[in-house]
Amino acid sequence: MNIVSAIILTAALLMIIAGMFCLVRTYNLIRIIIAIELAMKAITLLLVFSGWVNGNLALAQTFVITMIVLEVIVAVVAAGIIVSLYRKNGNVDIRELTNLKG
Amino acid sequence: MQQFFIVLCLVLMVLAGGAAVMFRSMLKSSISLAVASALLAAVLFLMGAYWASIFELSVCSGLITVVFVSAVSLTNTDRCSEVRVREHKARVAVLPAILIFAGAALLFILFNSDFNIVASATPASFSAFKEALWSLRQADILGQIIVILAGTFAVIVLFKERDNI
Repeated sequence: MNIVSAIILTAALLMIIAGMFCLVRTYNLIRIIIAIELAMKAITLLLVFSGWVNGNLALAQTFVITMIVLEVIVAVVAAGIIVSLYRKNGNVDIRELTNLKG
Repeated sequence: MQQFFIVLCLVLMVLAGGAAVMFRSMLKSSISLAVASALLAAVLFLMGAYWASIFELSVCSGLITVVFVSAVSLTNTDRCSEVRVREHKARVAVLPAILIFAGAALLFILFNSDFNIVASATPASFSAFKEALWSLRQADILGQIIVILAGTFAVIVLFKERDNI
């Protein structure tokens, strides 16, 4: 396999692993959003890589732009929810968000 | 030479991404994520995806970092007890080992596989990009506009003062 292709695939998968690890192991809401963003960056790289391999970079870039828009909306809405929760509860630890617990 | 810079940027991007996960300070994590995003934009530029690179650099590396830094400054989550610091160190201590092992295993598998992935793309021309964005994916543009409006409405609702509800 071409060395650049192998390293691109490896880097993308390592970033997904790092994001998933953080998603599983952390209790902080802001860090959870950072982990999701990290995994989304890996998916962005894989989308452009698929266009690079197939010879259709124009179409791959349109998918990337759609994904960036969704990424921004997720980050902004999540940040708004986090700030609202902090104002209500005084922290952003998911272990202490038990208001809906029956 | 171009391939060397792509590999260099990818290695630095993985390091910055790992640092974003491992830093205890949220501010440092946000800045590391911005660095990873900027390096990803450099990789996209070197691969010939110029418009995606511009969007990545301006929106992901700029706007999202501002949103995260604002959220961190509004919540003061960097202040925490010694117990939390010890918990954090215990949580992230295993990540470098996982990344090194997984990276070595993936490279070994990919170099010894029969896959024949060879890059064949030339940089996309503006006319091809314009055709793909405005003709092939018109419905997606409408969807993006709706998503942006929904996000704006969500932020307005979230930051509404309690007296006005």
